[in-house]
Amino acid sequence: MARTRHVIVGGGTAGMNAITTIRQYDRGASEIILVADERPYARMVLPYYLKGSISESHVFTAPPTRLRTLGVEPFIGRRAVGVDAQANILTLDDGTELPYDDLLIATGSSAVRAPVAGADGAGVHSFWTLEQAQGVIRGITPGCSVAMIGAGFIAFTILNSILELGAQLTVVEIAPQILPRMIDATGADVVTRWLQERGVAVRTGAQLNAIEDADGRKRLRFQQGDDVMADQVIMATGIRTNLDWLQDSGITINRGIVVDAQMRSNVPNVYAAGDVAEGRDAVTGEPALHAIEPTAMEHGRIAGANMAGQAQTYRGSLLMNIVEVLGLEIASFGAWDDTDAEVMSALRPERPAYRKLLWHGDRITGAMILGPARDVWATNDVGILKGLVQSGVSLREWKAYLRDNLFDVKRAFIAAGATGRLLPQTVLGRPSVAAESVAVQ
Amino acid sequence: MKVLRITPQRCTGCMRCEITCSYEQSGVFQPAKSVIRISPFEAHTSYAPYTCTQCDEAWCMVACPVNAITISPVGAKVILNDLCVGCKLCTIACPYGTVFYDPDTDKATKCDLCGGAPACASACPTQAIEYVEAESADWLGSFAAERAESQLAQQA
Repeated sequence: MARTRHVIVGGGTAGMNAITTIRQYDRGASEIILVADERPYARMVLPYYLKGSISESHVFTAPPTRLRTLGVEPFIGRRAVGVDAQANILTLDDGTELPYDDLLIATGSSAVRAPVAGADGAGVHSFWTLEQAQGVIRGITPGCSVAMIGAGFIAFTILNSILELGAQLTVVEIAPQILPRMIDATGADVVTRWLQERGVAVRTGAQLNAIEDADGRKRLRFQQGDDVMADQVIMATGIRTNLDWLQDSGITINRGIVVDAQMRSNVPNVYAAGDVAEGRDAVTGEPALHAIEPTAMEHGRIAGANMAGQAQTYRGSLLMNIVEVLGLEIASFGAWDDTDAEVMSALRPERPAYRKLLWHGDRITGAMILGPARDVWATNDVGILKGLVQSGVSLREWKAYLRDNLFDVKRAFIAAGATGRLLPQTVLGRPSVAAESVAVQ
Repeated sequence: MKVLRITPQRCTGCMRCEITCSYEQSGVFQPAKSVIRISPFEAHTSYAPYTCTQCDEAWCMVACPVNAITISPVGAKVILNDLCVGCKLCTIACPYGTVFYDPDTDKATKCDLCGGAPACASACPTQAIEYVEAESADWLGSFAAERAESQLAQQA
């Protein structure tokens, strides 16, 4: 009997986790083909490459030796252009046809630029791929000025790096506040002040109209207000899923690929994971397009387990983000912007520190935390808030207390027995395995 | 596997575990750098040490985008400093709040069971922390719930 052939499209977090998971179970019994248009790397660490604190080699997650250890046949530098879901054949951009037994679509997202005149000009960058990161590195020199268009999570992951490279920074956001999809307006005010006090210019509610060339520099024109001059412009104006190549494939796509609890699409031997998949949200139980690293990891592992013949059911991922900017820690979890939730919040402007808990009954379904990374509680309570949302533990006895003592969540976490609820939880129904210990035998 | 068994009823809040842990982990006597931390209960008349349980899922390890967390020979989930870039994904992935970030080194830090000879257990004068063959468990839950009762009643 021929070996089962798994074809993985996409070498990012979802794809690599699926591969490692398949090998955890089958130790090399199946054939795995990886199609990736770039050499696989960790997008999360590109800001550290930009800053120069790690070398380029540090970003790669699947060098040839690693792929050999995992028994993977790579098609690197190739792009999938179509799938025949009846005949079970994937077609690549060079015409290669790859028959598969099952297929994982994990093609991720790409950066999109605001549709303004001059957005494609010289000195205007995206920051999403390794190649784009290299463009930004070449562009930024000490003392130059950088305009960041868009003040979302991606933009914020590289603010530290840009400042450490010695650039002057102006952050421009079309929404009335910075980080509009990560924190509320009160939190955004705290962050904005923190940035301004440290020399970063912040302009919100600003509609960019055009980017013009002006004597070797860039002139940014807005719907209202003064122009901004900059040497380099970075457009962090959003991402979109790489799904165009699946048109007419018969695979059902809503905002992303619609999947069941095994990460299967409507075509039973076609799976999807990561940014392109509408997996279950752990808090709402509804399909959601998270497009975040931790969700891609869990999608990949669940898909990989099922492709390896393990019937693993996905309980859903928790939406979460963390970013630190100039020593200020910013994190949010779950349904942090749920307008139906009961809200508790506390602000200590002098530290500054800000907390917000969102409740449904006796359970916390969303949370936000902001404060200096040097505060002892900072990272400790970050994880504890995640655990409170994830465990769904009842805080009935503590609710009134927390209303007045929002900075004392740890004892509530311990006394409510959150640890006991969390300890049996595993994503794959068994202890996790260190990735580097996985190899074909 | 040997784990840190916590018997909170024995803890006197002397903080020797925090001091010795910070020295073992980072070479300084600085409780802020300890990866085991004492929580006070009943208005600082009882205490309990809290640290990583080395859980089965290893939320921190699977979250790391560059595989900078692995499982040591004694079964601890340990951070490989050469690989950690300081992105903090592990600190939000851990639902127990036991992966920390050290702003002086820009790296994550957590309990590694001191390679099989945990300094906190050696330093504890009352055997509130013991390194023994056992299943990881919620050592503190019922203790904390009892101790919190009177305080919460006062609040109400």
